[in-house]
Amino acid sequence: MKTIVATAVAGTALLFAMQGPAQFGTDADLGSPETTAMSVPAAHVSSVDVAAMDDVVDQYCVRCHSERRMTGNLSLEDFAVTEAVQQAEVAERVIRKLRADMMPPPGANRPAGDTLVALVETLERTIDEAAASEPRPGERPFQRLNRAEYERAVEDLFGIKIDAGQWLPLDQISASFDNVADVQGFSATLMDAYLNAASEIARQVIGNPDATPVETTYQNEPYESQHAWDRVEGAPYGTRGGISVLHSFPADGKYVVSLGFISGWGERFDDIDISVDGERVALLRYQGASTRLIDFQGRLAYPVSTDSVFVRAGQRRLTAAFIRKQDGPYEDLIRPNDWSLTGTEASYGTTSLPHIMQMTVEGPFDASGVSETDARRGVFSCRPTSAAEARPCAEQIITRLATEAYRRPLEQRDVDGLLYFYDEGAADGGFERGVRSAIEAMLVSPHFVFRFERTPAGVRPGEVFEIADLDLASRLSYFLWGTGPDERLRQVAAEGDLNDPETLERETRRMLEDPRSEALATRFASLWLRLQDLEKVKPDAFWFPNYNAQVARDMRRETELFFHDLVRGDGSLLELLHADYTFLNERLANHYGIEGVVGDDFQRVAYPDDRRQGILGHGSMLVQTSYGNRTSPVLRGKWVMEVLLGTPPPPPPPNVPTLDESTGDEAPAGLVTTADRLRMHRANPTCNSCHQLIDPIGMALDNFDVTGQWRTRENGLPLDTEGEFYDGTEISNPASLAAVLEQRPIPFVRHFTQNLMTYALGRRVDHLDQPAVRAIAQEAAEHDYRMSSFILGVVQSDQFRLKRALATDVDND
Amino acid sequence: MHFITGKHIPRRSFIQGMGAMVGLPMLDAMVPAGRRTGAETQPTRFVAIEEVHGVPGCNKWGASQHLFAPEQVGRDFELKPDNVLASLAEYQDYLTIVSNTDVRMAEAFSPEEIGGDHFRSSAVFLTQSHPKQTQGSDLHVGVSMDQIHAQRFGQETVLPSLQLCIEPTDKGGGCDYNYSCSYTDSISWASADTPLPQVRNPRTVFDMLFGAGGSEAERIARRRSHRSILDWVQGEVAHVKRDLGATDRRRVDRYLDSVREIERRIQLVEAQNTSGEERELPEAPAGVPDSFSEHMKLMFDLQVLAFESDTTRVVSFKTGRDASNRTFPESGSDSGFHPASHHGDREDRIMEFNKISQYRVSMLAHFMERLENTMDGDSSLLDQTVVMWGSPMGDANLHNHRRCPLIFLGRGNGAFQGGMHYKAPDGTPMSNVFVSLMQKLGHTDVTSFGDSTGEFLL
Repeated sequence: MKTIVATAVAGTALLFAMQGPAQFGTDADLGSPETTAMSVPAAHVSSVDVAAMDDVVDQYCVRCHSERRMTGNLSLEDFAVTEAVQQAEVAERVIRKLRADMMPPPGANRPAGDTLVALVETLERTIDEAAASEPRPGERPFQRLNRAEYERAVEDLFGIKIDAGQWLPLDQISASFDNVADVQGFSATLMDAYLNAASEIARQVIGNPDATPVETTYQNEPYESQHAWDRVEGAPYGTRGGISVLHSFPADGKYVVSLGFISGWGERFDDIDISVDGERVALLRYQGASTRLIDFQGRLAYPVSTDSVFVRAGQRRLTAAFIRKQDGPYEDLIRPNDWSLTGTEASYGTTSLPHIMQMTVEGPFDASGVSETDARRGVFSCRPTSAAEARPCAEQIITRLATEAYRRPLEQRDVDGLLYFYDEGAADGGFERGVRSAIEAMLVSPHFVFRFERTPAGVRPGEVFEIADLDLASRLSYFLWGTGPDERLRQVAAEGDLNDPETLERETRRMLEDPRSEALATRFASLWLRLQDLEKVKPDAFWFPNYNAQVARDMRRETELFFHDLVRGDGSLLELLHADYTFLNERLANHYGIEGVVGDDFQRVAYPDDRRQGILGHGSMLVQTSYGNRTSPVLRGKWVMEVLLGTPPPPPPPNVPTLDESTGDEAPAGLVTTADRLRMHRANPTCNSCHQLIDPIGMALDNFDVTGQWRTRENGLPLDTEGEFYDGTEISNPASLAAVLEQRPIPFVRHFTQNLMTYALGRRVDHLDQPAVRAIAQEAAEHDYRMSSFILGVVQSDQFRLKRALATDVDND
Repeated sequence: MHFITGKHIPRRSFIQGMGAMVGLPMLDAMVPAGRRTGAETQPTRFVAIEEVHGVPGCNKWGASQHLFAPEQVGRDFELKPDNVLASLAEYQDYLTIVSNTDVRMAEAFSPEEIGGDHFRSSAVFLTQSHPKQTQGSDLHVGVSMDQIHAQRFGQETVLPSLQLCIEPTDKGGGCDYNYSCSYTDSISWASADTPLPQVRNPRTVFDMLFGAGGSEAERIARRRSHRSILDWVQGEVAHVKRDLGATDRRRVDRYLDSVREIERRIQLVEAQNTSGEERELPEAPAGVPDSFSEHMKLMFDLQVLAFESDTTRVVSFKTGRDASNRTFPESGSDSGFHPASHHGDREDRIMEFNKISQYRVSMLAHFMERLENTMDGDSSLLDQTVVMWGSPMGDANLHNHRRCPLIFLGRGNGAFQGGMHYKAPDGTPMSNVFVSLMQKLGHTDVTSFGDSTGEFLL
């Protein structure tokens, strides 16, 4: 039976519209009998006639993928399986779709039996065998420290936390990651940023006895809950709301803290505790405002200031928080969603709690020197007791810091360069000023902000070489720890052993066991799973009054801890799909409706039922794929296809109606479920060709509302989450979705590998790297998909350890 | 003095449009000593503001309702309440509308490019060139007109130009359709392959303009150490360069260009400050405000400060990110920006989108007010400045780039009369208008730009 695909697809849509959801997915006749059994058995096909494979492509693919139709911008007319190596870019696209079992699409003709398996395995084998004959390291320019890496480096060097976003321009994301070298540009703006950051950080570290008063203002976001029972992270127990920050006090001296408020209508009095490192330094009284100063929304920017308060220099936790008055349950029945303050307005006669929206620190006044701080103790490993000792002591300090900052043993010129700045500063303001100047220069140095990798002498153009051990050490530590190598790794590299496979494995395992490997969760997994998009979704406070910034942060933390646990425990990657446990604190457990979790600390929690499974039950995934006022099965389906499987659906063509309006006038939004609206959406054949793949995946997760809470009804109507995965399997909930994904693990496992490699290499992984991706994934499969197997596979790959000298690399210009 | 600071009552009052805060005498003290004298003509400042997603008035029905282009052409046009520019009615004498021009370089040139408009358009706006589809460093589009202007007329000021933006650029995954996010996020291009980063944090902008540090003594000290660090960095780079491959060496050369640019800036500041006179600065703003309007207004205030102190004369400002789902509750619509732009030609939904667009454009009124109330010499900054606002998209519902919105505000020292609506003949490239604009800005030798086919006389 030779059905033209477009017709088949339209036919499906038609059936779909006529039969309605109840019948759909019950093995209705959607085409020839051949098309209903679409699952590709995982059997290995050993010997095949390669030429016969070309016939398969001609017969089943070229109808759509022709020069004329160019479906998916792909023509396979000139494609030959025997030429797979020469046409690897196209071949890899074919492999990806075949492995995902997405092609030929639902409703289209398929060859019988394991023909498709034979085809994809033939393609892979042909390409992989050719790849094995020569190393393919790939190429990329040197990387520079991005915001996250810069912050981490400063914390490791000096023990202070900074927000690099104060200075450095936004990092550009490429292929999901913020460390891709070839999109890291240079500009005067960046140079200016490095200079300003270095000046400020050096002063924060050493302190500045000559500091003149400056003002620094911190803002609270309106989503931060300041409700009667919500404490802000970092604030003392027994408080509610407020704002808590790490502030660098430049000198011992007097500081004034002022607060700005909004809201606080009808609540006349509150006590505010101002504390430094948890110790109260002032107690302020908030007095309800007179109506004269209240704006039309009943909110007020009402300033309250402390007297000047003596604080010692250093980075300290500064908190302003309301003293908690209610111990039991508290509910403001008139304005129950006050704590999020979003989209709400007080009306006459209602009461609401005041919220601290801004905190300004001004000072120092009467600076009286700089007391010892942790940062200073860390820097000043020696103290000169005479003028003669000053320079040798400075040299010792600079050598220690710069060895870590430059991630390698220093040459004499490195030390001399920084000592020049010490001398300049010391002449100006003595020993400490000198050290400060040297630190300032060190933080701008290209040896610090760039990760140069040297081409060894004597390498010929086009030649492949092992990257230097010290450069490999940096690659390794930035991959596993998100920061530079520790002393031991530098030592191993200096001894020249790191490129030895056993040493490399030993060091990798050691580093994975180190707590710093958490960076694989907070950096790699976070970017791969797009956790930064979580904060961009602001659920409508009218519908979701219980969602706030604290819950959002907990959700992000849940996913990070889950992934970190997988790495530390060397668990199976597939846990990400089917884990029956997660990490929760009391607040997030309450949000999910899971009982028995007490306290702010996260703990491992077994799910009480199978509603939630793995990442598909994490709020971080469910919220980032929602709109503020409704769930989006489309975004959720797309996320699964794109982030987990690596087979993103094509973006919609322009001039497609959005979901809301395609309901038409007869079905006003709000009175139907999202599922109903999607069904109408899919009645359109153009939409349906892609949405029949996307929507059922998202629908299987539609029992989770915008904020990731479980629901069984939407807009008062029962939810119907049933649908068919594109391979024909019926899915209706997270568990069945996870099961169908796990049944065919190759796309997920390879895509994870590809992402891990992208992050590790700092470059986009392309078709030439796919043999390596397949090999690593295959090796991992043989080791129960253990995380260490993936990580070691990447670390041991040619791509990670080798480099190729470009033809022009060794010229003598 | 709480000028553009982000705190307490003063800011809130200020944000609510308190004109009385403008033109405080202290600002005079900021003008660097030794700057141009009153006898000379005041320099013309140029601001290019990009709107993403076009405007509802560039759709067929929207055009019939005159939601962008007014019904009347010429001097006596009327901005009806529904017009996206209605909030600028008060400044109609300073307003020049150019309707009906096309940005065809933003269109798809090949099948692979179809649908990728959101990731490509921004790079086209000021370059009027077609971006090469790539994710790598082999970027190629064109030099943007603000940069041509800055490279020629911006060298007298500490910052030849300033690039600002509102939205974060870290959306998960990156950019689609095989386009580098540079095309999506950069409207200013120093060369065909050099996108300039934009600054989003008002505090960072402030430090770029005036230097960081709480006092003039501290700023001087920091400048001095920056100078010697820059000097040393060049030696270090020359040393390390020998061990690098060719690609990396080219990269290092780019880096050195930026090092030298900062050196130039420091020298210029130091030359201007030889009198040692204490400059009193307004207070620096805090970080990025949550609210769109507060953020926009702070960014406009900073531009006024930059012009007033003659720290820069050229600004590009990207006010949105393509395909953003951000909501603007203050606009009266709770739809996301991008979903709203796909209005499906339904009238009620076009009007819903119009609420968002009107709200976004209304931010310009604050800028106008500030420019009008800030005197430089004998005239206001509004008389001396050309603010260009436009979009490389026309009807975002179709992702088309025809009949795109473009307006000019301010008089640019006589370059514009204001109070005019020009309707271009069908098919006129927007770049034709840019040719005339550049001539007005002093590039008398410019006869073509991007895909221009001639001039469009203004």
